[in-house]
Parts: sequence; C-alpha cells; structure tokens
Amino acid sequence: MADIALPDTPALVQERPDRTRVLSRLRLTNASFRTLTLAAAILVLVILGGVIVALIEGSLPALRQFGFSFVVTESWNPVTEKFGALAPIYGTLVTSAIAMLIAVPFGLLIAVFLTELCPMWLRRPVGIAIELLAGIPSIIYGIWGLFVFAPFLQHTLQPFLIDLFGPIPVLSTLFAGPPYGIGILTAGLILAIMVLPFITSISRDVFEAVPPVLKEAAYGLGCTTWEVVRHVVIPFARVGVTGGVMLGLGRALGETMAVTFVIGNAHRISGSLLAPGTTISASIANEFTEALGDLYTSSLVALGLILFVITFIVLAIARYMLMRIERRIG
Amino acid sequence: MAIKNPNLYRSRRAVNATVMAMSVGATVIGLGWLVLVLGALLWNGFGSLSLQVFTEMTPPPGSAGGLLNPIVGSLMMSIVAIAVGTPVGILAGTYMAEYGRYSYLASVVRFINDILLSAPSIVIGLFIYEVVVRPLGHFSGLAGALALAVLVVPVVVRTTEDMLLTVPKELREAATSLGMPRSHVIAHVSYRAARAGIVTGVLLAVARISGETAPLLFTALNNQFFSTDMNAPLASLPVVIFQFAMSPYADWQKLAWAGALIITFAVLALSISARALSAARRAQ
Amino acid sequence: MTSMDVSVGNGGTGANGNGVHGNGPHSVPTPIAGNRVLEGDLDEKVAVRGVNFYYGDNKALKDITVPLYDRRVTAFIGPSGCGKSTLLRILNRIYDLYPNQRAEGEVLLDGDNILSPSQDINLLRARIGMVFQKPTPFPMSIYENIAFGIRLYERLSKSDLDGRVETALRRAALWNEVKDKMHANGLSLSGGQQQRLCIARTVAVRPDVILLDEPCSALDPISTAKIEELIDELKTEYTIAIVTHNMQQAARVSDFTAFMYLGEMVEFDTTSKMFTSPVDKRTQDYITGRFG
Repeated sequence: MADIALPDTPALVQERPDRTRVLSRLRLTNASFRTLTLAAAILVLVILGGVIVALIEGSLPALRQFGFSFVVTESWNPVTEKFGALAPIYGTLVTSAIAMLIAVPFGLLIAVFLTELCPMWLRRPVGIAIELLAGIPSIIYGIWGLFVFAPFLQHTLQPFLIDLFGPIPVLSTLFAGPPYGIGILTAGLILAIMVLPFITSISRDVFEAVPPVLKEAAYGLGCTTWEVVRHVVIPFARVGVTGGVMLGLGRALGETMAVTFVIGNAHRISGSLLAPGTTISASIANEFTEALGDLYTSSLVALGLILFVITFIVLAIARYMLMRIERRIG
Repeated sequence: MAIKNPNLYRSRRAVNATVMAMSVGATVIGLGWLVLVLGALLWNGFGSLSLQVFTEMTPPPGSAGGLLNPIVGSLMMSIVAIAVGTPVGILAGTYMAEYGRYSYLASVVRFINDILLSAPSIVIGLFIYEVVVRPLGHFSGLAGALALAVLVVPVVVRTTEDMLLTVPKELREAATSLGMPRSHVIAHVSYRAARAGIVTGVLLAVARISGETAPLLFTALNNQFFSTDMNAPLASLPVVIFQFAMSPYADWQKLAWAGALIITFAVLALSISARALSAARRAQ
Repeated sequence: MTSMDVSVGNGGTGANGNGVHGNGPHSVPTPIAGNRVLEGDLDEKVAVRGVNFYYGDNKALKDITVPLYDRRVTAFIGPSGCGKSTLLRILNRIYDLYPNQRAEGEVLLDGDNILSPSQDINLLRARIGMVFQKPTPFPMSIYENIAFGIRLYERLSKSDLDGRVETALRRAALWNEVKDKMHANGLSLSGGQQQRLCIARTVAVRPDVILLDEPCSALDPISTAKIEELIDELKTEYTIAIVTHNMQQAARVSDFTAFMYLGEMVEFDTTSKMFTSPVDKRTQDYITGRFG
C-alpha cells in the first residue's frame, strides 16, 4: 500500500464542485434523447399502421367494384377488367400446405438428430450451416428451381407420379399430366426447401431449452431416445415448435421470388398439382408493373391486403406462442 | 433384474431404431438438398462469372455484357436503406430496452416489430408504392431504398433490444451512481457494452436486404442504363436477376447466374462476419 | 418499533457527540476515552428517519431510523435478505431505476430530504456515490473510466483532468499498478484492481458520501485487505456506509455498526460496543454466529 500515503495526497477537505449549473443541460439532453427514442419506437407502430392504411386505401376501388365476390371469384381478366382473388388465394394456401407437409416432419426429425443423436463435434457445423442457409435470399432458390429443379421434375418425378397414380381415382386428378415441370407442386417443393432451415433452427432451439434434468430423469427410467423425445421433449416443446411452424408458415405464405419463378402464373384453379397456377405474391410480382388501369392495380393491391391479413394472423399466433414459451423458460 | 417382457423391449428398441434412422435420413436429405442448391449455384455461377460482369453495363438481349449498373444500384440503395433504417432501429430498440423497459408500450412495439420482421416483403413494396411512388408519380431509387429501410428497421430493433437487455444491470447501476443521467448511461455505457451485438444486427440487416427482390420490383423498378440518380428508376442486382432469368436469352440467363452467385457470396460473407463478431463478443 | 428494545437515531438534532443513539431509552453510551470514534464532533451527515421500502407489495424495510456520521464508517450487518443492501440502495435512490420499488419516510442529506420528488436524482447520485458487490468497470479504458464521471459535471483542461484522474487513482491505491497502462481496457484488470478502479471512479466525482455494497465479497483476501486499508484512508474525507456479510470486516473497518434483521433496524451503536456488549439478544446471536 505504498501509494496511499503519498506526499501529494490532496488536501483533506476538497472544494466540492458546483454542479447545479450543468444540471439543466444534462436534464435537457436526457429529455431530448428520451423523446427521440420514444418517437422511433412509435415510428415502428406507425409503419405497421401505414402499411395497413395504404393497403386498404389502395384496394378500395377494387373492393368497391367487386365487394366480397372478389375473394370467391376465380376469373382474372385484365381485358374485361373482371378480377377475382380465388385462384391466387388457392395457390398460396396449397403451395404453403405442400411446403409445410414436407418441411415440418423433416425439420423436426433434423432437430431431433441435432439435439439427441449428433456427435458433439458435428453439432456446431451442421447448426451453423442450417442457419446460414436460412439467410440465403429466396431469389437463389427461385433461379435454382427454374433452371435445375423444374426440368428435373419434368423428366423424372412428374411422369413417375402420373404413371403411379393414374389408375387410382382421386389421386389421378391430383396428379393429372402433362408434366410441365413448373406448377403448384414444384412451387410447394421449393418453398419446403426454403422454410426447412427456419423450422429446423427454431425447433432445435426449443428442444435445447428442455431442462436436461427432465431428460436425464426419463433416460434414468430406461427410456429409449425416441421415448424421451416423444414423452418429454415434444410435450415440453410443443408450444414453441408450433410457434416455429407458424413462423415458417408465415414465410411460406408471403414468399415471393422462390415461387414466382416456378409457379407458371396461371390464374386458374386446376385439380392437378402438376398444373401451373399462381399465388398472391407471384401475381403481384408478375403483373404489378404491367398493370394498366386503376382497377387492375387496385385489384393487385387488394390481393396484397388479403395476403397481409392472412400472414398477420398466422404471425400473430406464432409470436404469441413463442412469447409463451419464452416466458416459461424465463 | 431380468427384463420382464423381452418382446415389448424388443419392439420398443425397434421403434426407437426406426425413428432414429429416419432422423438421420432426414438430416442427410435436408442437407443434401441444400448442397444441391449451392452446388448448382456455384457450378453455373462460376461458369458465368468473369471480369466483364463487374465492368460492363447490362446488355441488350443477345449480346454480352455485365452487371455494373445493377451492382452500383444495389449498393446505393442498400447504403441509403441502412443509413435511414439503422438509426431508427437503434433508437427504437433503445427505448424498449432502456427508457421503456417495463412499459406497456414497449411490449406492444415488440409484438408489432416481430410481425414486421416476418411480414411478406412484397407487401412492404406495395406500401412504399402507395405512399411514395404514386404521390411522386414515378419510380425511383429512393423509393426502393425506403422499402429496404422498412425491412432494416425491425431487424435492427430486435437485435438492439436483445443486446441492450444483456448488458448487466450492475453496470447501469454503477454508471447511474456516478450521477449520470440515463442518456449518458445509455450512450457511454450500454451502447459500448452492446456495441458488437448491435453491429451484428446491422450486418444481418444488410444481409437481409441485399437479396430482397420483391419490394424493389415496383419501387425502384429497373434501369438498363448506368444511373446514380436516386430520383429516377434504378437497377438492382436481384431485379435484374429476376428479369434476366425469366428471359429466353442464354446470355441473360448466364448473367442471372453470375448475379445470383455474387449475391450469395455477399450474404454469406455478411452473415459469417456477423457470427464471428458475436462469437468474439461472447469469448470476451 | 414494537418488538424493539432499542431506539436508534438521536431524535434529529444530529450534530453532537452525545447523539450516539441510545440503546434503551435511558442509557446513553458514554464516549470511551481515547476511542477515536468519538473524537471530535459527530455530524449527522445523513439521517434516515422512519423509512419503509416496498418491492411491489412486499414490504422489505420497516420503519428504519439510523444516522450516518460525517467522516465515519458505518457498517450494516445482518443475515441475507435482512434489507441492508436495500437500505443502501435507498440512499442514492438507485432503486428509482425499477418501476415497482418505492420508499416512504425521510432521508436527510445535510438536512434536505432526498426522497422528495423535487430532489434532482442525478445531482444526488453525484453527491452519494456507490460501489457494488461485483466490480463494474465500464467497457472503456482505465483513464476513461475515471475521466468520464468528472467530465459530466466539470469542464477541465486536459492537464487538470489528468491530475484529477491521477489523484483519484492514488486515493484508491491503484496508481502505481496502472500508471503505465492508462489506456488499457478496464476489464483487463484483476478483480481486486477492478474494484479499486470503481472506488477511484466514485471518488473522482468528489461525492460527500460513499456507499459500499459488499465491496469485497467477490475478492481474494489480499485484495480485500487493500480495500479495507483504503476505506480507512477514505474516511478522513468521506462519509462511508458499508454493507458486509463479514463480521470481522465490519469490526475492522467501521466506527459504527448497525444490525438489521428481517427488514428491521435491531441495534445501532459504536462498533466496539456492538461487538463487545450488544444489547439485543438477536444481535448477540448473530455476532456470536448462532444464526445467519
């Protein structure tokens, strides 16, 4: 402690600085900064409000013209200016359904692999790979779908499906030819590849949040890995996984570029999954800049409004569920 | 203790083995599929990449050219979008983690922000079309940049809030105990402590917007000539890729692959540096 | 004060030697000759009067009354959860950071009630500094850690500022260890050095009162000894309150000791009295290690 009793130790009684004159400046800085951050936070709300108002306003002409029949009409005719949203809505829902049917089981199984089976040294690289893939822009999947995947399907999987299900009543309609390559099924498959990383990484995070003691207790009873997953991990993680799946569904519903390349952009509802179709986002992307006339544009904006409402509901449910699990994990 | 019912045990093990095999299979197929996508991208992309791509303008159909104007356009719009979106995002995130930490408003903003985070980007394009393009009467690079900025905000808000929440409360209390007003505590202590995390968020936001196509289609539109005028239609890499890939011309399709490769590398580089940054932060 | 056989505080005159709180209504402790504690005038720098504190609906402090004497060290001891840290956090209103914590009663600093809404809390905190259990160096250089608080309220020339930083580091007995690496990150120091850096940082703002909330609990014995020595130095100039789990530490560094239990102030007296002949049974039990 040599440096305590130094000769230059200052006078015992220091003069206390007069701080009051700087106070008003500090107070002002603080108040302004607070207001600034508050304004930015409110701006986030304003953006969402703005999106809703702008979409409603832009779609008014179409909604006035067609009313509710807009959502139940299949016809989409720019020449006669008769527009109905049924075909894009159908396409959006069906492609997303196909995507989820494939991506959810795959995503969950991969998450099981990553949390229960994967050797430690492999976990990080695989996990990182999946997260990096989740960040690859959708246009990449689109261009791959158009140039690589669609031709491949056209020559292999689609003829196979047509032959396979041809003799079976209902399925023969679902997989009626000819094989175009592009179409609803192809779009759904591309979407599945796109949302797979999302679902996998959220499920893995939720699985990893299961308290190890719970799993150890179950293993201690002599459960097999699958039984532990089935009876401990999944019940515990159910809410979170559902949230993650809904989040993936939100992505699939709103995804534009991956779908636009391979959907075929045909405004009709076909019984066959192999036929070209369209989705809400693909219609907007394909037609918006070429749309002539207010009614056409307005109808496309109205499509956007419908898409926004659907995804808003799905995402709100997803967030609600993820919030619940976050609260539980604390 | 002997196993009481060997058959039951055997079937349990069989079920387990089946499911585990399926999970390995799913991983192999899932990753394999992703490898196929990247493999095709590398193959076709490198096959089409040349110096020309970076030095020449987009060509008319049927002739050779490059992607200089869309690259420049993308860079310009991204820079403006980050310049506009980042401060808004950081400030809003600051409100939620600091001033408004326990407020009702913060939880509402958090919810809405999470919705915006995953909202379809094409809808954001429509929004900017309605509030910027239509009133101004023309497409412009500025409109495109604003659409991208709307996508930047929620990413930055989210990471800023998360990172500020990880700043230990002791640090905040210690700074406050020196007589600092909250604004100084935030600016000089919280921001410093969370800096790497916030930068990570910005990098992720750049990665997110650099591949975005849908919101640019009818805001920035496209421009086949070189332009740096933010008040006029502006070319961007993703839109050009879309246009060229959908065209019937082989030259254009090759350029589309080259562009796709450039974007993917940019995005991967951004996300890897973001990761490295946050890993370095954790190690500290 | 129903369950207490001790009345603490001196009823508010707060300015002289016989104000050492009675233990029992009739016994006023006589200053022991040669006891440095009672040499000179005892000024009541801070007077806590009838303070209640709530975490939400949970009442954590019950009717606390206690003085802090000018240029003396007051130690607060008691089992975990007795409210001693809470009491410290009231004194510079750090609890204001959290929405559902609130204090009632009066805390007088030189006669002004710091709990009153008109009190500017930034100014208050500059006058009553606090050092925490865990060292909390800011994520900046050693120099900046200290210069930062000074710059807040004073505009100084570079050389004056350098001088103030050096003085503060010397006061915290850290100067010799860091003078060659003033621009290294504060986090690069050892735990004990970090804690002294935090003390230096607090001293640099020139407060009147320094609150130490278990400042040694995260430190090794050698660092602890250094900090204790430092406290002895600092009390020549500052009013110091220290919360500690360690009774030997309280006995070593403090002039006065307050024993708290379950949110109540059980006993307050000179440290020598508290550790030799405590009045309350609970104090006895705690000090002799029968609980806590």
